[in-house]
Amino acid sequence: MASSIGFNLLQVLFVVALAPLVAGVLSRLKEIVQSRRGPSIFQPYRDLRKLFHKDEVVSEQASWIFRVTPHVVFVAPIFVATLIPVLTSYPLFFAFMGDMLGGGFVLALGGFFATLAAVDTANPYGPMGASRTRMVGFLAEPVFMIVFFTVSFVAGSTIPYIVQQHWVTPLSNFFAPSHVLLVIAFVMLILAEAGRIPVDNPTGHFELAMIDESKSLEYSGTGMALMKWGGQMKLLVLMCILLNVLVTPWGLASGRSAAEVLWAVPLVLLKVGLFLLVLVVIESSLSKLRLFRVSEFLGAAFVTSVVAMITGLLKF
Amino acid sequence: MANSYALLTSLNGLAAGLFLMSSFGLAATRQMQGCQRFYITQSMCLVVSALLLGLGLHAPDLLAVAALDSVMKPIVIPYLLKRTVPEEIFRRREIDQVLNIPSSLLIALALTLLAFFLSGYLPPAAGSIAAINLPVGLAGLFIGVYTLTVRREAVPQLIGIFGIENGALLCGFAIAPTLPLVIEMAFPFDMLIIALVIGILTRITQERVGTTEVGGFTSLKEGASK
Amino acid sequence: MILLAILAVPLIAALLSCLPVGRRVAPAVTLTSCTVVLAMVIAAATRVAAGSSVVAIVNWVAIDGLSALILLLVATVGSTAALFSWGYMAHEPSARHLRRYYANYNLFVFAMLSVPMLAEPNLVWTGVELTTILSVYLIAFENTHEALEAAWKYSVLTVMGGAIALLGFLALFAATRGQYPGGAYTWHTLIELAPRVSPAVLATAFVLILVGFGAKAGLVPLHTWLPDAHSQAPSPICALLSGIKTTVILYVILRLVPVLNASGKVDVDGWAMIVGLFSVGIAAFLIIQVTDYKRLFAFSTVEHMGIILTAAGIGGAAGHYGAVYQILNHALTKSFCFFAAGATLLAVDTRQIADVRGLIRTSPSAGVALLFGGIAIAGAPPLAVFLSEFSILRSGMAEQHYLATGLLAAFVIVAFFGILYHLNLMVFGQPSSQTAHSIPVKLPRSCVLTLILAAAPIIILGVYMPQPLHRLLEMAADGLSR
Repeated sequence: MASSIGFNLLQVLFVVALAPLVAGVLSRLKEIVQSRRGPSIFQPYRDLRKLFHKDEVVSEQASWIFRVTPHVVFVAPIFVATLIPVLTSYPLFFAFMGDMLGGGFVLALGGFFATLAAVDTANPYGPMGASRTRMVGFLAEPVFMIVFFTVSFVAGSTIPYIVQQHWVTPLSNFFAPSHVLLVIAFVMLILAEAGRIPVDNPTGHFELAMIDESKSLEYSGTGMALMKWGGQMKLLVLMCILLNVLVTPWGLASGRSAAEVLWAVPLVLLKVGLFLLVLVVIESSLSKLRLFRVSEFLGAAFVTSVVAMITGLLKF
Repeated sequence: MANSYALLTSLNGLAAGLFLMSSFGLAATRQMQGCQRFYITQSMCLVVSALLLGLGLHAPDLLAVAALDSVMKPIVIPYLLKRTVPEEIFRRREIDQVLNIPSSLLIALALTLLAFFLSGYLPPAAGSIAAINLPVGLAGLFIGVYTLTVRREAVPQLIGIFGIENGALLCGFAIAPTLPLVIEMAFPFDMLIIALVIGILTRITQERVGTTEVGGFTSLKEGASK
Repeated sequence: MILLAILAVPLIAALLSCLPVGRRVAPAVTLTSCTVVLAMVIAAATRVAAGSSVVAIVNWVAIDGLSALILLLVATVGSTAALFSWGYMAHEPSARHLRRYYANYNLFVFAMLSVPMLAEPNLVWTGVELTTILSVYLIAFENTHEALEAAWKYSVLTVMGGAIALLGFLALFAATRGQYPGGAYTWHTLIELAPRVSPAVLATAFVLILVGFGAKAGLVPLHTWLPDAHSQAPSPICALLSGIKTTVILYVILRLVPVLNASGKVDVDGWAMIVGLFSVGIAAFLIIQVTDYKRLFAFSTVEHMGIILTAAGIGGAAGHYGAVYQILNHALTKSFCFFAAGATLLAVDTRQIADVRGLIRTSPSAGVALLFGGIAIAGAPPLAVFLSEFSILRSGMAEQHYLATGLLAAFVIVAFFGILYHLNLMVFGQPSSQTAHSIPVKLPRSCVLTLILAAAPIIILGVYMPQPLHRLLEMAADGLSR
């Protein structure tokens, strides 16, 4: 029991500590693909440390929501990290605290507060970006629902650990159409939720075109650091859900000794690294979609997930 | 042996799933070139499915068909289209559509569900390995008919016809894997001739009428002004 | 062997037509090959009517009563249309274009000859697709905007129909294969195996083939290409298309009727009647509002396809006899109508009904021909179509399908009045200031000759049925019931 709690805390520490590293590696890879050198992969850590030492400037129009939001955004992915399999393939202490729908709910809570905070200040760009984020969010909801529903139906449970055990057990299931199509749909979902190209440009500075970046427009100092860190953790958490639950349960520790769990850390990092390569290829070869075409993109994701559901569930 | 059968079944299912996704792409894409690329993807999935079914069911006829189609559909037919249809037509996009893309996708989804429902009425597939070919092929057929009806430009209508044929063939692999070889050979050649004829017709239309937006050709109706 | 020769002759003629030797060779070659084919087909048909079977390749190329009838019609209309083309296409300025027309004409006739001859249903599908593809160029021949529009709609809709029917044929094959693997697969074995096959599968296959080939044959609601294509093509080609191509495709659908009847659990007769009546009704009402006289005849084709299908649905020996009799008369009469329309077009140079008045004064031969054609196709006594329609109505009463017979009679009368109203205005109306020509135009001699030659069977068959032909019709009707 103590080891279970310990491993859970280790899981959370993994997500909290290594999220900036993942973000750093991603931006470095993108720069390398564009034939540039790029910043060091530890640059996000330096950015966060710098931001923590700076003063905050808060608008006079802002209310308590503005001050609370960075903390909510920081804590939400941590909650979800306790629920999903990050390092182990068996359920840990907090695993039954919430299922996948609950995890999705908590992540959405963070997004909800971020949207409110963006509207909270009197800055005109905030609400513009917030409304766009909400549009992307509600278009992505059906995809989430269908993905979760399909995997839960097949596995017979909505707890991520149990889904992961049942989903890819025989190897031939790996090539089943429902599996492949669900993965494709979920990747499109990650691109939408984490604000990557083709839905949104994460390195853009043009406020009129921002979707996801607009949530941290008004923040400075500690608030900015927490928002950035929270965003990076959200990306890592989504990637863990994709890689550990949907794609491959490989690399996760199946024994209960600390050594095995520690050994899982570089393996999971390796999986994340491979996915980062795929992400970099997608981001470098596509361009940002015009706003009205985001609905087409998410419509395609929806259709993919429904086809995955049909081929996986309808027995003919 | 049973393991490899299961693997072949899964791989066939994957090919069928990607076939279905390409059908959606065919119906929903705006660009002519995109339409053609989705058709090529669809044809490759068809070939892979034929190959897997030929291996799984020990039907050399299917392997021969796969070989022929792998040359005919992704290579010869696009080449033929490139030669007969003027270059500039392929650079076009369909700007005003009857239904916008998300609606098209949803309708295509509804047609897929209909196909899955109707596939119960066709004869049982040649074993469980081909069980998914029937509904997916039928869905490809319905989506091809939908593309044909809704699109206004010449090239998507033509690719819609090819999509219907692909869907019918995918179904055919499941329900009639022992079709005599001479007849299985006739189908790709038939498609070839159709591509040739309609390609030439498109070229003539472009030259004579100046546009290939055939959806706008309504001068032959009774009440229309000439 | 005679069957293979019948197939070979048009192919050779097509090759010869391509030779770049001026503009006289191609029409002559085409006409000669068509007459030779006609002679061979008459020989084969007499043998079939006498009771012996004509087989070229066992289980692949063979003819029975029904296919012999269709072959006879294809050969006859092919010859008359070739003769009509001689004079009609003479005005075509480009010799190369003309040669291509004749080469395509021969290939088209070859394809239509192949369909009744093939006994394996899947090859029949290939033959039907071939007829479709080979006629696209002929429809677009005039190269105007409207012709290209018609050709596009035609090609897209009919190829789609073909692809849908493909699935039906595959389902049919699979259904019977399971029962009799390794054996021959022809129309006749299909009839034998039908009782042992699951009726749901047969019904599905029939629906798919009905929808797919119904689009090709011009059954409502997939008939929208027919008025366009059959009015924009050159008139001899219209005769081929309306007179025999749609008939050939309807023949394929009719081949399935005995198969489903043999199965006994599918009510194909009811479906055939409903679909047929639907076509007749819609076409009859559409005839009233046409503005173009070639479209008038095209809608009449849709109507007659419906009548034939209804007759097949009425069933019984009398119903089937009526259906094949109607096929015979329709092919001969409709081709004559389009020849008359072609003559009219040569005379007044416009397709609009409103622009043509007093045709009898402008060109007496065209006027008389048009009026005669209209009366004949509308079903007036004492001409051929009246007899066949009457026999269908009588068989309907005998089989106690009173509602269907009543509806059929009503629709036919509506169409009758529609056709005659338009034609009356065209032929006898007072020339107003709108009419284009008032100078009498002389028609080419071959056109006049064709009109006379084509009119003869219509008049003769209205009063007298030669015994061999009667035997052939009976055998054809037999092919529909067994």
